[in-house]
Amino acid sequence: MAEQELELTGWRKWFAEVGDQCVFFTRFFRNIFKGGFEWSEFIRQCYEIGYRSMMLVGITSFIMGAVLILQLRPSLESFGQVGMLPKTLSVSLIREIGPVITALICAGKISSSIGAELGSMKVTEQIDAMEVSGANPVQYLVVTRILAVTLMVPLLTVIGDVIGLAGGFLALNIKDSVSYTLYLHKCVASIDFSDFLPAFVKTIFFGFAIGFVGCYKGFNSNKGTESVGLAANSAVVTASLWIFVIDAIALQVTSILFYK
Amino acid sequence: MEAVKEKKEATTKTKKEAIIVIKGLKKSFGKKNVLKDINLEVDRGENVVVLGKSGEGKSVTIECIVGLLTPDGGSIKVFGDEVTDMNDNQLKELRMKIGFLFQSGALFDSMTVRENLEFPLTRVLKMKNQQEIDERVNEVLEGVGLVDAIDKMPSDLSGGMRKRIGLARTLIIKPEIMLYDEPTTGLDPITSREISELILNMQKKYKTTSIIITHDMECARITSDRVVIMDSGEYIAEGTFESLQKSKNEIAREFFKDIS
Repeated sequence: MAEQELELTGWRKWFAEVGDQCVFFTRFFRNIFKGGFEWSEFIRQCYEIGYRSMMLVGITSFIMGAVLILQLRPSLESFGQVGMLPKTLSVSLIREIGPVITALICAGKISSSIGAELGSMKVTEQIDAMEVSGANPVQYLVVTRILAVTLMVPLLTVIGDVIGLAGGFLALNIKDSVSYTLYLHKCVASIDFSDFLPAFVKTIFFGFAIGFVGCYKGFNSNKGTESVGLAANSAVVTASLWIFVIDAIALQVTSILFYK
Repeated sequence: MEAVKEKKEATTKTKKEAIIVIKGLKKSFGKKNVLKDINLEVDRGENVVVLGKSGEGKSVTIECIVGLLTPDGGSIKVFGDEVTDMNDNQLKELRMKIGFLFQSGALFDSMTVRENLEFPLTRVLKMKNQQEIDERVNEVLEGVGLVDAIDKMPSDLSGGMRKRIGLARTLIIKPEIMLYDEPTTGLDPITSREISELILNMQKKYKTTSIIITHDMECARITSDRVVIMDSGEYIAEGTFESLQKSKNEIAREFFKDIS
């Protein structure tokens, strides 16, 4: 690939990169079903990606829930609809804001760290060393990471949603006095299956995009120190862009399937 | 009489069995022709040192041998099989017989020394018996004189120690061929000499065939059975270290001018 990049520019380079991504995806997909799945590395990655991101996702979601309530309150108050605050918060948080904010945080934290880690392994010839020893670097490094992110982002989103609702409850009680049972009842009653399922399914795609982009950028970085930074940076930008593209597609699909 | 003749022929063949045969190897990166016409034969048990200036494509040659790079033209036969025609499985089998020591050592920096050494045993040789694994790990660590470093992280090791552990990791699968990419670069003269002597000792112990890429003349003197000098993508001189010292070739003389 490196030798081709010297020749290609503009659209040709873009098409070559799309082709490379397809090849990379095929390699990833084939290696999922090859024997000798790296369970220990997969569990380690789930811990690194999921558990170590929980604090960041939790704090952000808590603040987001509280801020949403504080921002929505004056608008709804002018219509005399303060009682709608739990419903408005839960629907907006679970359908849209929770998944997208969590995914963007994960793109910033996880995609960049995977891009930098694999990029640095490429620069220091660790990936080549794995390959020439006869081991399978795609199976060990790529499959485990992509599957771990695909599993962890939906779980982080669910956790983030719950913490966001808790943040909203706290913010609501700054001016009003609402019992947590009433608040919880109002939140749960306003959410149905068509709110939760599409949002949950799209987080699986968000997770896949974050993992895939991070691994692709890191695995295909050039051999130079500068390329580690570029791989991390490019992974965040591309993954964030993909999150919005997937979100837009998911909205269209959800509209057709659930909100006719 | 005929049997004796056959045995004699067989013995001669064993002595002069070329297990790496490179003919007319070509490789370009963009417009730069790095390898123009490389021809080399390496006999079983032989140590061939390739000398050349930096950026001449010395490492490219050995990367083509293990299939890390695909040549643009020519033929590479290892154990009689054409490397350029091999599929993934054939390449994997070949790589299990070849050890590749990278310039940096290429230790997996997220793993301890023990885990680095266990990696090829569990992933490539699929060894499961922990006692056998421990025995092999201790054997190679004793060989490179670093038994005490077993639980250290690569970041805690010096440059020379990293090279030793890298050498141990490649030798642990008992390869028939060893490819060394500038094994003494970046080391002080004393450590360089130690590494060169270690390469020679390991070659004697494991009876490997080796190609050593270097521009360290002391390393070449200690380790070589035969020296090949590379310039402008071609091999321009060949012989024993002593014979090349007396060579009239200008580039060879440049290399040997500081050698007493």
